[in-house]
Amino acid sequence: MSSTRLGRPQLYLSYAQDMALLNTPAKRWWTLVLALVAVLLPFMLEDDLLAVLATAFVAAIGAIGLNLVTGYAGQVSLGHAFFLGLGAYTAATLSGDPDSTRLIGFGITSFPIWLLASGLVAGLAGLIVAPLAARLRGLYLAVVTLGLVFIGEHLFKHWGDLTGGVGVGRPAAVPELFGIQFAVDGEFFTKAQKLYLLMFVLLVIFGVLARNLVRSRIGRALAAVRDRDLAAEVIGVDVTRYKMIAFAVSSFYAGVAGALLYVMIGFVEPGSFNLALSVQYIAMILVGGVATISGSVLGALFITLLPRVTRELPAVLPFISSSSTSGGITVFQVETILYGLLIIGFLIFEPRGLFGIWIRIRTYWKSWPFSH
Amino acid sequence: MSTVTAGVRLSTIAARVRDRATATPDVIALREKDLGLWQQVSWSQYWQTAELVGHALLALGMEAGDRVAIHSENRREWLYTDVGAVAVRAVTVGLYPTNPVAEVAYLLRHSGTRVLIAEDQEQVDKALAVADELPDLEHIVYLEPRGIRHRYDDPRLLAWPDFLALGKEHLEVHPDAVDERMRQVRPDDVATLVYTSGTTGPPKGVMLTVANVDFAIQELVERGGFTAPPPSSKDSVLSYLPLCHVAERVFSCWFGAGAGVCVHFAESIETVAPNLHEVQPTILFGVPRIWEKIAAGVQIRIASAGPLKRRVGGYWLRRADWIGDTLAANGGRHTASSRLVHAIGYVVCYRALLDRIGLRKVRYAASGAAPIAPEVLRFFMGLGLPMHEVYGMTENTAVATANRPGRVKVGTVGERHEGVELRIDETTGEILTRHPGTFAGYWQDPEATERMIDPDGWLHTGDVGEWVDGTHLRITDRMKDLIITAGGKNIAPSEIENALKASPYVKEAVVIGDRRKYLSALIGIEPDTVGHWAQLHRLPYSTYRDLSSKAEVVALVQGVVDEVNERFATVEQVKTFRLLPKLLEHEDGELTATQKVKRSAVTNAFADLVESMYRGGVR
Repeated sequence: MSSTRLGRPQLYLSYAQDMALLNTPAKRWWTLVLALVAVLLPFMLEDDLLAVLATAFVAAIGAIGLNLVTGYAGQVSLGHAFFLGLGAYTAATLSGDPDSTRLIGFGITSFPIWLLASGLVAGLAGLIVAPLAARLRGLYLAVVTLGLVFIGEHLFKHWGDLTGGVGVGRPAAVPELFGIQFAVDGEFFTKAQKLYLLMFVLLVIFGVLARNLVRSRIGRALAAVRDRDLAAEVIGVDVTRYKMIAFAVSSFYAGVAGALLYVMIGFVEPGSFNLALSVQYIAMILVGGVATISGSVLGALFITLLPRVTRELPAVLPFISSSSTSGGITVFQVETILYGLLIIGFLIFEPRGLFGIWIRIRTYWKSWPFSH
Repeated sequence: MSTVTAGVRLSTIAARVRDRATATPDVIALREKDLGLWQQVSWSQYWQTAELVGHALLALGMEAGDRVAIHSENRREWLYTDVGAVAVRAVTVGLYPTNPVAEVAYLLRHSGTRVLIAEDQEQVDKALAVADELPDLEHIVYLEPRGIRHRYDDPRLLAWPDFLALGKEHLEVHPDAVDERMRQVRPDDVATLVYTSGTTGPPKGVMLTVANVDFAIQELVERGGFTAPPPSSKDSVLSYLPLCHVAERVFSCWFGAGAGVCVHFAESIETVAPNLHEVQPTILFGVPRIWEKIAAGVQIRIASAGPLKRRVGGYWLRRADWIGDTLAANGGRHTASSRLVHAIGYVVCYRALLDRIGLRKVRYAASGAAPIAPEVLRFFMGLGLPMHEVYGMTENTAVATANRPGRVKVGTVGERHEGVELRIDETTGEILTRHPGTFAGYWQDPEATERMIDPDGWLHTGDVGEWVDGTHLRITDRMKDLIITAGGKNIAPSEIENALKASPYVKEAVVIGDRRKYLSALIGIEPDTVGHWAQLHRLPYSTYRDLSSKAEVVALVQGVVDEVNERFATVEQVKTFRLLPKLLEHEDGELTATQKVKRSAVTNAFADLVESMYRGGVR
């Protein structure tokens, strides 16, 4: 049977083949090559670049979460920073020093536990917010979720026992598994190498889980809700239920991403969970590709690596300064402007994002030598 | 077959399917697409169902020699019925799905069909409309219940599952009944009635006996009369031409039963292109119309691609022309330089191109059933498709000549098969064949049979031909189509017509000129390509008629005609032409069921157009 299928990728004999994630030999080979490259990278790149890549992988998990609710289910959410913050503080608190007098801490450093817990706390919060989404849509929903960010900011700034307060902050979660410390340099691997590999594995796990979710009955229901909630209801999709699922799962992903995000830096600052962070994630999915998992990853990589590029600008363009004290335009302002320009540019010229560009290139060569 | 007598084991298609079911029960025999998936049927399932059909026919009281008609598109049930009927010594009669009511009535009445297998409501309606004129018709088995079940109460109607249930009951009571019948089979049993499409007069039922079919399978399949090496269970075919035609019967039913080739049923004739892409068959038979359409599609699609693709694709198509010419000049074998050019082109263009049109895995491609223009053959040969023109007719069970792999002569229909006697009549130039595949006669028409088979057993094919290099046969034309101009010149119109049809813009061409001063032609444009051309040239049009009446389109076709004329002698040139105002249709009686043009019908229907070409003094 396999010999019959060889060279006949379109000859579907079962729905499992039709639905397979890697349904063509080309996809299988490229995925293998990509995975190999990703695993070998830590032994070829400098540690500081690895740290950025690891951060990008975590951001990708968060972006996948936002894409689930905004891209797949069509529910615009500006509140992603709030859920990221919930995750970050749940993890930091659970793994925090129990003897500290200044901060709450429980000393649970095993990372699967605090990772799951932060996901669940954020997911629960998402579930509480979801009924709002059931009654609102479009701009109104965006405004309500914007409100969440402000509530969160207020909470994080003033609950000093939890967050350490503005300008002070608290240490981030400690990743430990079976006695292995990921966040310190080891005998064989550096901290960056270990974290890079850990984040890569987590991204693959959460990416595959999300991909599986969106090609299932739930994914189809979410798409139906996005395309027209009224029509979805008429064909038998329980709109309220699926909006709740979308918010809960999306917030779970945000919680997980939030918990991991500050592991790299080692420190959480309560002021960082603001609107700008939400916008950054929206930029990721718009630049990467709305309603695609691979697009979310591409977008997260792009947006996270962007500062690395802009930091080099002052060397090339002397009128841009690298510090905020010396007058003129700073790299941070350039970054903010670039986000804006990128979002505008992608929305106008390539609404399907980086993934859309990839699809276009792929189609061009797939349809060779015809045009379609 | 004289050496085989009753009692000695004679392999009917039923026996062959049964033997395969015993030898390789789990190997896949058939695939048909249903709800987006290719559903598989193994040889054991194939035989089980066919045997049930046999039992069901026995349960309905079918005697040896009774007729079962099948009125359906190609699908599994077609083959089940064919095999099941042969197993109980009944005779299968195939009806074209496009047959209009009048022809259905004629065929069912003339064949005296007792059981009709009708595909769906459309075909059931055709039979019911004339059921009163059909005293012999006792049962109508329908395959698709939609629109029939709970709505029609004709007592003759029977659903396919109920039909099989009858067979199952019969099987339980008489488990050996089908085996018993299969043992009684005699070589002169009629296995199938194939009604010829009849470009003139009503269709005639060709009786092909069990021995005829057995000979054809031995000659074409087992001895590898077409392919080298012979077909095997590793091969696959796409079944898309009507199964009632002998050519498709050879390639799907007999290749399957004879060699275990896996048969894939196309969803319909419209979906042949996507189905080819999915199935990627290894053996493909097509009528010239199909090959012309694929070739035109490739050219148009490359021409309308982006700049880079157009340039690269165009370049490699020109190289393919050169490779095709080289191959044609060399019997279908590569020279060192053509092999090199093809290897590079394969990487850059041909592999992807063949994959897109679903021909990448084809190891043997054949054209037959009508003459094809050499340009079309060369086009595919240049792309790397092993292309062969073959020749045969229903009356000799499709066994006559074929171009053999590696010994191809483009423009000929190839060499005679091993067990075939073939000669050309000295006086008339008519091709005569003699072999055990010669049909038993026309059903209820001994006079016509006598005209076809002379006392020495030679079959008069009605085709005029000549030898090329003493080995290959070239067919000039159908005898009755030969044009004798007013100047007394003999002209074979099909050659000119095929040259015209090789253009992507020309779908049909009918050359006229019998007893006239000069040749003229009625030309039907290909709506897809000409429509696309019109769009490119910003030429608005509404209907086919509107499009074909545009002066620009006439000028386009004039260009094609001029180009073709250059290749012919002055008397053979088409001096003037008219575009047909409509697409020719089977239902309007202008085409046969196999999409061949009925010359007389067309020239009669468009008599005023024809006359307008000879009025006044055009040259």
